[in-house]
Amino acid sequence: MTNMMRKLAGPSALVIASMWAMPAMAAGTAAGSTITNTATVNYQVGTVAQTAINASNNITVDRRVTLTVVQLGTSTTSVSPGQTQAATTFTVTNTSNATLDLGLTAANLATSTAAPNGGGNDAFDVGAFTYYIDDGDNVFDAGDTLVTHLDEVAADAARVVHVVASIPAGATNGQKAAVSLTAQAKEGGTAGTEGAVVTATAGANTAGMDTVLADTAGSDDAATDGRHSARDDYTVAAPVLTVTKISRVIQDPINGTTNPKMIPGATVEYCITVANAAAGATASSVVITDSLPTQTTYVSAFGVFEGGTVAGAVCSGGTATGTFASPTVTGNLGTVAAGATETVYFRVTIN
Amino acid sequence: MVKQGLIFAAAALLAAPALAADQVSLVSEVFVEKVVVAPNGRASTLLKQPDVVMPGDNLVFVVKYRNQGAQSARNFILTNPMPNAVAFREAAGEGALFSVDGGKSWGRLGELKVQGSDRRLRSARPDDVTHVRWAFRQPLPAGASGKVTFRGTVR
Repeated sequence: MTNMMRKLAGPSALVIASMWAMPAMAAGTAAGSTITNTATVNYQVGTVAQTAINASNNITVDRRVTLTVVQLGTSTTSVSPGQTQAATTFTVTNTSNATLDLGLTAANLATSTAAPNGGGNDAFDVGAFTYYIDDGDNVFDAGDTLVTHLDEVAADAARVVHVVASIPAGATNGQKAAVSLTAQAKEGGTAGTEGAVVTATAGANTAGMDTVLADTAGSDDAATDGRHSARDDYTVAAPVLTVTKISRVIQDPINGTTNPKMIPGATVEYCITVANAAAGATASSVVITDSLPTQTTYVSAFGVFEGGTVAGAVCSGGTATGTFASPTVTGNLGTVAAGATETVYFRVTIN
Repeated sequence: MVKQGLIFAAAALLAAPALAADQVSLVSEVFVEKVVVAPNGRASTLLKQPDVVMPGDNLVFVVKYRNQGAQSARNFILTNPMPNAVAFREAAGEGALFSVDGGKSWGRLGELKVQGSDRRLRSARPDDVTHVRWAFRQPLPAGASGKVTFRGTVR
């Protein structure tokens, strides 16, 4: 038997590693528990059974502090400029063998940092962060609970955390904001109170329960620092609208509709086109207002057409449901999808 | 202490000549295996005192025995139940017997069966072991000593 031990402890360290490869073990035996090993010998002297001999020893299982933060899913959060509650979502797991509080700190990453979900680099910062515990659907919604930290997370327990921030109104379509979430091990034990930061037992080992920080390095923290972190990102999806105004002469009092000229008494059609670029988001509640020049008079018999199309500088279609309240023409286009162009057109006469 | 004394006294009355209290001494030790990587990249496994023990650590249990009496010890059987928090891995050398049912029955590991989660019998694995035992065929002569070693992993 000694031979085998020697063999195992010898140069074949790799063999040992594979023999001892354990299944993924997260929390395991609770910190502070005592493992008692007892050996017993039974024997006889002559034919008489002797009193059994026992020998035992105790070891105390120390507290191994590890935790993980991972992004939930692998896709960016699509946001609009000025959105007040935009959430990125993470799963925070206490893989220690003890109950812990977990502190939460989100941060904006530096400009030009690669967005973790790809597709570009960080270009703007989001506003102040708040944290919500998910209610079970992994979607940020009204059922989630605002928290300052994760309270009393048992060994091997996980929480889904929404990191919520506002998007500046000046963010433009396609811009990305990369953020990180760092969780830090804190002492559990008092429900509802964020405990002190967990520190490794300093100095010599003790026979009692020691604390060892065994966490790996996350995206924005070092190994064995009692923290773990991961990144996620926001991508702005904004409509990119282009508005143009064109005009054409319909008729004049001298030439009629044949080669009409822009003379007093002539009828002119104004057409305002709204084009939403293909790459952007749908624009909603699009309203066009146009204040008429004083040298013109609105033609009420024609009306204001909304939602028409434009081809070759000539607008057509739509419905005459727009309004005029002197001197302003109002046309309501409602929703303009990405890649679509809609028009508002009306007629005036030149005074 | 008092209780132990009483037991000895009662036993002495029953079998006075042959009973020698504590003829065999027994010491149980445990070490934790730590893999240390030298600056040259070579990994070596060291046995250390179990000051820092965490789930997943590999423990080496050493039980030393010695016949300190004047007569040989016959039918010498050394039994070690596995602590609940330790998964048995292997016993060094030949001759160990195992139990996977709390010490009711014994055999070599490859011959033992346990009921799996699907309620069908399957071959026992090391982490099914509840007890490990060494039964010596030869009497242990007076003055003789030795040790047995086995390994486990903190669950």
